[in-house]
Amino acid sequence: MNKTLCTCSVMLVMSLALISMPGCSKKSVQSGGDSQPAQGMAKGGSSDSSKSGVGSFPDTGVQSGGGELRGLDKNPSEERVGNGTMLAKVDPSSSAGRQMAEIRAEQAASAAAGFRDVLFGYDSWTISEDGRQALNNDAEWMKSNPSALVKVEGHCDERGTAAYNLVLGEKRAKAARNYLVELGVGANRLSVVSYGKERPACIEHAESCYQQNRRGHLVVKTGK
Amino acid sequence: MTQVKLISAWFGGVLLLAGVVGTLESGAADVFLEATRPDFQKISLGVAGIQNAGGPDWLGGRIEEVLKKDVKRSLVFDLVDLSSLGIQTPDIGNGMGAGSKVVFKQAAEKGVSVLVWGKAGLKVGNKDADVNMEGFVYDSGSDELVGGKRYAGSPSVVRLMAHRFADELVFRYTGEPGIARTKIAYVAEQGTARELFVMDYDGYDARQLTADGFLNLMPQWSPDRRFLIFTAYRNRNTQDIDMIELATGKRWTVISLGGLNITPALSPDGNFLAFASSHEGNSELYRLDTRTKAIQRLTVNPSGDLSPSWSPNGRELVFVSDRGGGPQLFLMGSEGSNVRRLTFEGDYNAAPVWSPRGNWIAYVCRTHKEYKLCVISPDGQKRMQLTTGPGVDDSPSWSPDGRHLVFSSTADGKSHIYMIDADGKDIERLTFVGTHNSAPSWSPAS
Repeated sequence: MNKTLCTCSVMLVMSLALISMPGCSKKSVQSGGDSQPAQGMAKGGSSDSSKSGVGSFPDTGVQSGGGELRGLDKNPSEERVGNGTMLAKVDPSSSAGRQMAEIRAEQAASAAAGFRDVLFGYDSWTISEDGRQALNNDAEWMKSNPSALVKVEGHCDERGTAAYNLVLGEKRAKAARNYLVELGVGANRLSVVSYGKERPACIEHAESCYQQNRRGHLVVKTGK
Repeated sequence: MTQVKLISAWFGGVLLLAGVVGTLESGAADVFLEATRPDFQKISLGVAGIQNAGGPDWLGGRIEEVLKKDVKRSLVFDLVDLSSLGIQTPDIGNGMGAGSKVVFKQAAEKGVSVLVWGKAGLKVGNKDADVNMEGFVYDSGSDELVGGKRYAGSPSVVRLMAHRFADELVFRYTGEPGIARTKIAYVAEQGTARELFVMDYDGYDARQLTADGFLNLMPQWSPDRRFLIFTAYRNRNTQDIDMIELATGKRWTVISLGGLNITPALSPDGNFLAFASSHEGNSELYRLDTRTKAIQRLTVNPSGDLSPSWSPNGRELVFVSDRGGGPQLFLMGSEGSNVRRLTFEGDYNAAPVWSPRGNWIAYVCRTHKEYKLCVISPDGQKRMQLTTGPGVDDSPSWSPDGRHLVFSSTADGKSHIYMIDADGKDIERLTFVGTHNSAPSWSPAS
């Protein structure tokens, strides 16, 4: 009981912080993928390695010494217990709001395009006859809108592990992308991304819902 | 959620019992993982109260409650109920008085090896209120007042005082640092986004670390506990591997090769980062030398390879590959040599994590269409299913003492985080709020 109340209040405080602080000017957490190494870190490698997509890396090995345990003592001296805080405070950046707006714009553009999801079988990334019909429809739109760029998202149902579902989702997205290319859509207009089981369309634990989640979902890219 | 105590299957032998899990629930009751550690004998410990010494009514009781739970979870001690043994526990003070001698004698007679008590008070100074706690320990084996601890801190740290005292007890009797001060990193849903959080090992004091409004997935700790490394989506389109420094909140990208970059795992010495990336086509395993930044490809085949986990000595990796059809566990040397398949039972085995003691690998196994926790010995000789029943269990992670696992499960409907003993006993739910909590990762001990 105590525990529930306590955790509730923590979560409540955090949600309040989320709601009330988007305009906060001081950012202590870089959100949205800014590439910024922590201070005091070795400058990362040669120019070759920075081109290859590898950022700077701190020394993360266990430092010797450390630890707060000093043993029991017949005549213990007072130890100060700190406020646990290895954890910085999060100030939500404008990233959350921006992402939300971009997602809404993408959804609106995709709905206007009349895209249909490609649905997949359990554990499968094979495109079915129904799936081909959906993609035929989607390819027509892409051909009549030749400047549009489209992202193919691969999704999975909640069964299976988060990690393997990311790989499975990528296989589904690539299968759909490859079929669109076969239909004559330029490969350079198509990108793929896997969301695994992390962005379900439906959250019931039922096969009808699982089927909706095993999908290739096309999204018109509206931003950069 | 029910638990299965033990199912062993000796490959190459005649017994392949995993297919009949349900029938074995009540069998093999006396064979636990502890059987592999013959030195494992719990020490009986009684808590004779944490008295209030000036302060709010709840103070002593709160510390006592946290301490008792820590002692129980340590699995080093057998927490005994003193009153049910007929042992009266008046205020023993500093343990020097005549009354204390009576209690000590009773405890020794009833087989209680360790007696713990203490007091706590709130002192209001000129600036801030300060909680003071004293803990004392008597050892009946040596008939010795072992000593104790004195802590001071703000009222917000009373739980941490109890945790630290519990870890001192574990340290005293095992030489290990204990797990009561460890943390669990995890992913929690915030609207449609998934953000990183860190909470205490017992589920309290959850704190948010990211707020991007999109997906941050599968955090892992650095060996020194200063950083988390995880998969993040740069503007929703590509998966990169990012790091965040806990003390400062500084965050940056370490791997952005294009394609899927997932399941990062730092070697125990921090010198290598193993991860999966699809930037050369399909998902393959790579190893980054964190000092030279050189990247070495470890796997070469047209199937998906992912989820590397290091052996405690850093010489081997266990990982998932679907090169045989469905996902299975494989082992290889940490530079990619000597690949061999580890799991042969069932058509779906994934999310492996090597125990810090090295003797088990925990993973998600699919049996009867359910995704449950299993453990297997690295030589493939012993296998055990830890959980049964409905719901998807995922993302097991070992406690640094190797005695527990934390994992996510949808057994109660929504995905929440649970702790389970490494032998499959005593499941404890750790999260109670929110729409989705997943991908727990247990910190190293400090």
